Amino acid sequence: MRALERHDFWPGFAAALAGMIVAFCGARHLTSVDTVSGSTASEIQLVRAFSSSGLQYASRLAPPAPPKLEDPAAEAEALDRWAKQQANATPPSWKIRVDTAAKTPCPT
Amino acid sequence: MDCPVPNCQQREPAVRGRKLSRLRPWLQTGFLGIWLAPAGRWLHGIPGCVFHCYSCPLSAFACPVGVVANYAALLPVVGEVPYLLIGLLLLVGAVSGSLVCGWACPFGFLQDLLGKIVPRKISLPGWVGYTRYVVLVGLVLLLPMVLGLKGIPFEEQAVSICRLCPAGALEAGVPYSVQSVLAGKGWMMSGFKTGILLAFLAAALFIHRPWCRIFCPLGGFLSLFNRFSLFHLRFNPKECVECNLCRSRCSMGVKVDQAVNVSGCIRCLECTTCGAIEPCFALPKKDSQQAPENPA
Repeated sequence: MRALERHDFWPGFAAALAGMIVAFCGARHLTSVDTVSGSTASEIQLVRAFSSSGLQYASRLAPPAPPKLEDPAAEAEALDRWAKQQANATPPSWKIRVDTAAKTPCPT
Repeated sequence: MDCPVPNCQQREPAVRGRKLSRLRPWLQTGFLGIWLAPAGRWLHGIPGCVFHCYSCPLSAFACPVGVVANYAALLPVVGEVPYLLIGLLLLVGAVSGSLVCGWACPFGFLQDLLGKIVPRKISLPGWVGYTRYVVLVGLVLLLPMVLGLKGIPFEEQAVSICRLCPAGALEAGVPYSVQSVLAGKGWMMSGFKTGILLAFLAAALFIHRPWCRIFCPLGGFLSLFNRFSLFHLRFNPKECVECNLCRSRCSMGVKVDQAVNVSGCIRCLECTTCGAIEPCFALPKKDSQQAPENPA
């Protein structure tokens, strides 16, 4: 004979209560990711960054473009200075950070 | 419509089921006012509980599938977990199961509308529903994680759920491509993604809710709650005359005459038109008040 398929109250209630608590904690949760301004990104800011291309990766940061000047002598000097700066440049301390002002739609 | 189930036409639909059946498209339309917020991106930091691309110019909430995939790609780098999303899906799933699929999801509604164009449908075997879990585990969790471990950001991953998603193609790719064409820059969306969109639209004409039944990882996850969610469908054996109207009304191919709170169900409540299956909400009761599981 086929079952009634009646559901018990408590498993659903316990799962719903757990979901409510986890969602509340998540809404207040600060992630380990920094923002461009230096503060810690909240989970809501991180989620918003996914949809607005707001994630910046240290490994993907382009180095500054080499200088181009009118005077060849000055340009050579500037290029030399730029090359030294690039050689001595230390990698950023962060791996990923959130640009909260980004508004580009997700590129995928 | 010819029905393979015998005796399905021999019974008048129940009044409540008929009312629910009429109400559903109106509620689905009403929910568009929530998911397609006129204010634009004002709640994009909060994941929604339906399948709707967050790159859509009108989307109000973030796509839960896209958020999970992004988190999976970030996991090897920063080790973050989407507590807010997990909590919201747990809450929605525990309260209603996959009710949102049938009554609130905009992508499901679109497929319902497309399905009305061609009445005759191709039936699918029941096992295709399991591919939703393959998509969930493989495409949404494991693949972004593995590629993230190799240092490839989610946006640069050549294969990802977002690159294959027809909802993203329709809701974000098409509007931005049209905008691009109007600006004289040509069609923006890749040929591959445009092909996926066209294949999906064609499939939705001949298969009822193809995305929901075969691929949707969100629907697959929410349907896991169908077996114990507070809102559920109850079978009343006293009302059952074995007319099979319930089964003939189910467009998702669920064997409603055997069990109804199963993972293939989107809780459209069409089966309630038979009168023997009714929607109900689990409430706390004392042991003495509980009806026996198998009264006969």
